[in-house]
Amino acid sequence: MSVSRDDFSIAFRSALLQRGGAQKFSVLSLIFLALIIFFLDVYGVKFTKPVRGFINDVVYRVTFLASTPTRFFPQASKDLSNYFNVIEENKRLRAEIEKFKSLELNVEFLQDENKNLQKILETEYFNKNLSNILLAKVLVDKNSPFLKSIVINKGTRAGVLKGMPVTKDNYLIGRVVETNYLSSRVLLLNDLNSRIPVTLDEGTQAILSGSGTTNPILEYLPEDYEIIEDLNIFASGKDGIFTPGTPIGKTNDQGDIELFVDPNQLSFVTVNLNLLKKEGL
Amino acid sequence: MAKTSILNKIYNSGPLILLYYLCISEVDTNLENIFEIFTLNFQIILIYFWVLKRPEIMANGHIFLAGLINDVVMGFPLGISSLSYLIIIFVGTYVRNKSVNTTIASDWFTFFMAMIFSNILFFSLLNNFSDLSFTYSKIGYNMFFTLFMFPVFWFLFNIYLMTFVGTRDA
Repeated sequence: MSVSRDDFSIAFRSALLQRGGAQKFSVLSLIFLALIIFFLDVYGVKFTKPVRGFINDVVYRVTFLASTPTRFFPQASKDLSNYFNVIEENKRLRAEIEKFKSLELNVEFLQDENKNLQKILETEYFNKNLSNILLAKVLVDKNSPFLKSIVINKGTRAGVLKGMPVTKDNYLIGRVVETNYLSSRVLLLNDLNSRIPVTLDEGTQAILSGSGTTNPILEYLPEDYEIIEDLNIFASGKDGIFTPGTPIGKTNDQGDIELFVDPNQLSFVTVNLNLLKKEGL
Repeated sequence: MAKTSILNKIYNSGPLILLYYLCISEVDTNLENIFEIFTLNFQIILIYFWVLKRPEIMANGHIFLAGLINDVVMGFPLGISSLSYLIIIFVGTYVRNKSVNTTIASDWFTFFMAMIFSNILFFSLLNNFSDLSFTYSKIGYNMFFTLFMFPVFWFLFNIYLMTFVGTRDA
């Protein structure tokens, strides 16, 4: 009995303290070190933030370089197939140009009408904000079962602040949750931690919550409200962060939201610098 | 002779290079696009196997560093993945110290124990010390598929071990 207990304690101690050969550090010492780093990072001691920011910037750049092969091969095969489809695409584009030419006349009229209607509604005309829109490249898009986020190549140096909304083709995709000097992390709308106030087509207010899957869901809808298919969802802007009326997605037959932009296919995004700066945050 | 030695060094560094590459690159084992719930933690399979079979080619310091890199890339609090990997090393080393002959079944069972301890620590720290929320079903699926895929990778790593690295078991 005592021999067995001795065996256990020897094996246990050896597993924790063993060093030598290739092992320059014991498991126990590294556990202590990891705990110290963890608590320093969690409780955000004054000097850890710039250090963490520097480490993040360096690691994100290395990640971007290390991921080049994984990005190159899918892109190369896509380019190749595009090359072979070029004649067909040319015909299709010519037809589209003709169609758009006929629609062009209507656009000017609609733009004026839109401006006038926005003046009546006292909301900001979106194009006024164009000077405050920052184009950023997606550096890291590592998929995780627990976190849905991307890392972009613009940070505090370019004026990015925590909380700023991020869009692609004017569709909302998320907001900045971490800023470093040269990079930032954007929390996507489908992340479990994402919550934003939204308006549905007919004016109903709700909260768009990430579900951890591709499609987020609507919460805090009015009682007995039934979600119907093909309702457009816009940011309501009630939080003062997102531009009111920024399109997000539409409802599907299962009652959740299909985003207009696929969160797994992001390469360039835009950061709206306007709202938070204006409030001096 | 020198050429063989360099080749051996490269073969021996293979698992470590793979670990670093998985941590730092965009390559992930979150295969939700293929099957909605299919995610696995490949890193812990890799670490456990090599700590159990050839600990000298998976140095603790390197695993610790790979964990830190993983935290930065994934956006977790620094040190949390390192702690989780160190628990895997600890269980792996303990099992290695206690056992003479191992089979795939015994490795599979002890891996299950290591994964349980490691994930309990990882998610309890994440739950109590960060604002990140997660669903328990996702953790369950992740653990299930990691456990389910262990024998597959055990065979693959074993082939690599026999072919390129060589065993030292008596």
